[in-house]
Amino acid sequence: MSEPEIAPRKRFLAENPSALRFIGCLALFTLGVTVLSEGFGLAFLSTSMVKILGMTLCLCLIAVAMDVVWGYCGILSLGHFAFFGLGGYAIGMWLMYARTEGIVVQSLAAAPIPPTPTEIENAIATQIFGVVGSNELPFVWGFAHSLPLQLLLVLLVPGLLALIFGWLAFRSRVTGVYLSILTQAMTLALSLYLFQNDTGLRGNNGLSGLQNIPGLLHLSQSTLAIWFFWASALALGLGYLLFAWLVSGKFGSVIRAIRDNEARVRFLGYDVERYKLVIFTLTAVVSAIAGALYYPQAGIINPAEIAPIASIYLAVWVAIGGRGRLYGAVIGAAAVSLSSSWFTGGGAPSINLGFYTILWTDWWLVLLGLGFVAVTLFFPRGIGGLFDYLVRKP
Amino acid sequence: MCSPASLARLAVIVTILACTPALRPGVAIAQEGLQPLLQKYQAEIAKPSRTTVDRVLAALLRENRPGTSEFLRRWQDRGVYERPGDGFFFYAQEASGALHLIDIDSGVAVAEVTRREINQIRPNSGVRGVIAAALAPFELNAPEPARRQAALDAIARSGDADQIVPLADSIDHEPDAVLKRRKERLLVLLTAQFGTPQSARLTAISDLAGDISIEARSVLNQLTARQAGVAIALPEGANIARVLEVGEDISGTEAYDRLVGAGLAPPRQSATDRREVLAQHIVDGAVGGVPLHQLDTDAARTRAYEALEAAGTVPARAAENEVARTVAAHVFYETYVQPDPEVTAAAEDALATTTRTLGLYQTLDLVLDGLSLASIFFLAAIGLAITFGVMGVINMAHGEFIMMGAYTGYVVQIFIPDYTFSLIVALPLAFAVTFGAGVTMERLVIRHLYTRPLETLLATFGISIALQQLAKNVFGTQARPLTAPDWLSGALTLNDIVSISNIRVAIFVLSLIFLALLLFILKRTRLGLEMRAVTQNPGMAASMGINPNRINMLTFGLGSGIAGIAGVAIGLYAQVTSEMGANYIVQSFMTVVVGGVGNVWGTLAGASLIGFLQKGIEWFNPSNTLAAQTYMILFIIMFIQFRPKGIVALKGRAAGD
Amino acid sequence: MTTLLEVSGISVTFDGFRAINNLSIQIAEPELRAVIGPNGAGKTTFMDIVTGKTRPDEGRVIWGEKSVSLLGMSESQIARAGIGRKFQKPTVFETQTVRENLAMALHNKRGPFDVLFYRRSKAAAARVAELAEEIGLLDALSRRAGELSHGQKQWLEIGMLLAQDPRLLLVDEPAAGMTPAEREHTTDILKRAAETRAVVVIEHDMEFVRRLGCKVTVLHEGSVLAEGSLDHVTRNQQVIDVYLGR
Repeated sequence: MSEPEIAPRKRFLAENPSALRFIGCLALFTLGVTVLSEGFGLAFLSTSMVKILGMTLCLCLIAVAMDVVWGYCGILSLGHFAFFGLGGYAIGMWLMYARTEGIVVQSLAAAPIPPTPTEIENAIATQIFGVVGSNELPFVWGFAHSLPLQLLLVLLVPGLLALIFGWLAFRSRVTGVYLSILTQAMTLALSLYLFQNDTGLRGNNGLSGLQNIPGLLHLSQSTLAIWFFWASALALGLGYLLFAWLVSGKFGSVIRAIRDNEARVRFLGYDVERYKLVIFTLTAVVSAIAGALYYPQAGIINPAEIAPIASIYLAVWVAIGGRGRLYGAVIGAAAVSLSSSWFTGGGAPSINLGFYTILWTDWWLVLLGLGFVAVTLFFPRGIGGLFDYLVRKP
Repeated sequence: MCSPASLARLAVIVTILACTPALRPGVAIAQEGLQPLLQKYQAEIAKPSRTTVDRVLAALLRENRPGTSEFLRRWQDRGVYERPGDGFFFYAQEASGALHLIDIDSGVAVAEVTRREINQIRPNSGVRGVIAAALAPFELNAPEPARRQAALDAIARSGDADQIVPLADSIDHEPDAVLKRRKERLLVLLTAQFGTPQSARLTAISDLAGDISIEARSVLNQLTARQAGVAIALPEGANIARVLEVGEDISGTEAYDRLVGAGLAPPRQSATDRREVLAQHIVDGAVGGVPLHQLDTDAARTRAYEALEAAGTVPARAAENEVARTVAAHVFYETYVQPDPEVTAAAEDALATTTRTLGLYQTLDLVLDGLSLASIFFLAAIGLAITFGVMGVINMAHGEFIMMGAYTGYVVQIFIPDYTFSLIVALPLAFAVTFGAGVTMERLVIRHLYTRPLETLLATFGISIALQQLAKNVFGTQARPLTAPDWLSGALTLNDIVSISNIRVAIFVLSLIFLALLLFILKRTRLGLEMRAVTQNPGMAASMGINPNRINMLTFGLGSGIAGIAGVAIGLYAQVTSEMGANYIVQSFMTVVVGGVGNVWGTLAGASLIGFLQKGIEWFNPSNTLAAQTYMILFIIMFIQFRPKGIVALKGRAAGD
Repeated sequence: MTTLLEVSGISVTFDGFRAINNLSIQIAEPELRAVIGPNGAGKTTFMDIVTGKTRPDEGRVIWGEKSVSLLGMSESQIARAGIGRKFQKPTVFETQTVRENLAMALHNKRGPFDVLFYRRSKAAAARVAELAEEIGLLDALSRRAGELSHGQKQWLEIGMLLAQDPRLLLVDEPAAGMTPAEREHTTDILKRAAETRAVVVIEHDMEFVRRLGCKVTVLHEGSVLAEGSLDHVTRNQQVIDVYLGR
């Protein structure tokens, strides 16, 4: 037998220069923002701007997860924002509880007799749930006093939900648009559930004051903002590497094969359902982590965040960025969410046509919607595809 | 010949003579007229209030001088005036800016004054209600049906025993069949409440069995009203409804609280109270020898309190075993407010029958509600089912087509003020507008994406957000009215429980029409045949000479057009907003998916299932429609596990891929 | 020769149409078998049933020495049990390279985590190269499968089938759309494979079947019409009537 042409084994990063390039860009960006930030550097970027950038990084992370589940594995999930929101809720519960506890303990310290643990808990419950007419701590808040436990819940709750939902859906071979509608139904059910006042998560009030981090109250928001920015950048970097590693090897080959022809993959002996379940659950957990980093920067979370439309927007970002390439998801999420906040926040100048003035706060969504149609029709590979076109070797 | 009016007047006089205390021999018919009597109560009449009006009415009715009922009626209607100078009361007649004062007793005009010179007496609504009730027996035979009606309403509002006789007497003279039935009913209600002898009362109560009207039920509920009680032993002679078993019917804590409430036991000390007491006895940074900083547990506080107890500085608390003993030593029970056991037993029986009937009607009402919701879902989803089924295209903008139809209706109403006519114009116009929009969208966008169904979903979502925002820019964010014509605004009412608004009936009829129409198009026309061919095998259909492009275009137009008509229908009973479509889109998808794709019957089955299910779940927990929707979606997710292809699934090899 | 697959008395109905009617076939190991029959005879449905894609209404499908029933198993379990299938239309993963296609099919553990932590080995790379050489795609290893010609795709799929190292190969019209030279090559590959395992070939082309030189089963209206050597079945009057005579 002649010596076959074997691809020599190389290090993962060396084999995936695009991942390396991405990490480099992210590091440069992080450094740049830090230098320009109010908290650490030259104060060219306001704290709210740093927060917006940090939040954008979290959105990029969930977009990368969405790209893996949709762009690589072909599952158009319209429910990943549910996991994002659940992650936010899980961390938000601790933030709110611990902060309220601090306030309550301080206010009770003036009492002649020191408070018992039950009294403290009741006071916290009244403080948090007075707004929905309750003064008892619901059982879902049983772990809210402990940061490690609640961090565990950030991973476990969305993970288990994804596992159970995915197991049910994939087992009965729900695919394509049916699966999309089913995931949409899941999100809708979850957000309707959270909208109720008696489910223990403050109904449509949601959780608020999340920007105040217990234990770090002595730090200014500008410092906290840059810390969270770093954490978000780190999470995005690690998440990106994880997924790049996942989709580059044989596993990636199998899930792309599932996307293209899942029946054929089955006849090769692969248990397609289990692969989908692994991808669905893993991306759900990463989405939850992104959410857990996002909401302390946003400061507030309510059930409207989980509404089905959010997850559809997520798909829009990935499609515009170019699915099937991880950096495309990052570009799409960053470009669309940043320009959305620029246009709707009144940053964009109005255009006076003489007979009519285009106010971008009114017309941005029209532009986005039509632009999205155009991308789907004319650039199915999105902005990332445009990149490919430009750098393609002649 | 006597005129009918004078006959009626005669009847009034006869009735008053027949059924009022005037028959009592001790009271001669007063000679001095009504005015002097009124003057006796001058202040109370001129400034009537709830507290004084009863006394005045009692006096007036006792004397019952001629013209009393007339006076009461005018008093109630603010037709009585007080002359400031002497405080005399007059009626008045308006005449060219001035008022003719009319003497109450003689009925002749005595003076002409301006409004300034005289005080109109204005009893408030509470007082007027009381007067109306007192007036009722007189008015029962009033010549005008409206007055008799008002009298009956007054009795229904506040009935009492005295009204039974006049009511019974008035029934025979009642010429109006409707009013007569009402009188008979009121008589039964009054007899059930206040009637004597007992046998008449029991008959009346059993007559009420199965009567689901609110007034009948409230009478029965009053008769069976219960009162909680606690005592050492069951009281003799009380009408006991039931004896409560502590631990089963009532918890130990509740039982003790009742004892406390009845003053039979000392209150238990709450944690807050104990803290207060402890705080009052801080000595040198300690309470009862326990240092303050240790008092952050319940155990330490108990120790401190016991130390105080032992020292005698605070009173002893009720110990837990004491509580249990006290509770055990008492009997807890419920008594009927109504003392007569036979009456309460009859009322309980009647109430049980009523509850059964009520359940039956509530079920019927639920079925009607479900049917109505199902027909709305059907209307909203059927267009989607056609496009999804025939073309495999998920149209996320379907909801916006519904919205477009509704706004078309709104715009038509601006130009055509007549609601009926505008509706007749709006329905076909909405179809035309959305048909056009659908065809345009199909030609411009969807046509290019037939091989990529998931991307159709996203592209149509883009169109959806653009259309929604566009509607917001054009029509503003506030809801726009789409007013239904008068003949649609009422409701079909069977009884107090079962009623359904005409709009919902119309929507139901509309969805039936659409069902028939679509079945006709699909099964009996060339277009339908070609559509079905394209659904089952597009490649084969194309090779048979069917132009799939044309079919797809028409199908999409048809589906969108139906969405437009659904929009008009939905707009009539809900509000027209730019987001109204989004509210229906997820439900519509689920209807289509649950029903099974590409089949009118499937959509019907899906809509029925979802509609009835939602109403059914709401019935279990009526206060919480959010929960109902949540559980319904969970049910649908589970349902799809077992029937991934929906209720009515396509079979065969083609369906497998 | 031992019996590897025993199909007995299976029937399946689609919407009232009886696609398979009391069909019984036995395949030994090693064996090369050709299945022929007119359109709608139930050839593809037979494969669907064996590979778990379609569940029969009645009958048994027994596999291997331990006589396990395949009816309760999923497609992937059946594939892992050692049954490989090649479809009528070549179905390779067009966005991936030939190497990736073959590597995916290689006989390895199939669990998600096994695959996730799978490390490329020299032995596996050598096996891929060996297979590529056999199907004549050694030079095309790094090309995308979508860029291959129709015949090359057919070969790639056969290569993937061999890479799975199955005990039974079900091959649906392997030579469709191939040039005569390519057909000859295909015959060689199948014949060689059948030396160590069971191979069932569905084919329309009589010339191709003749070249395979093996036992032939004729299906008609969902059941076996005749079985034996090609010469034997072509002399069968019934076969001539329903199939060859047309």
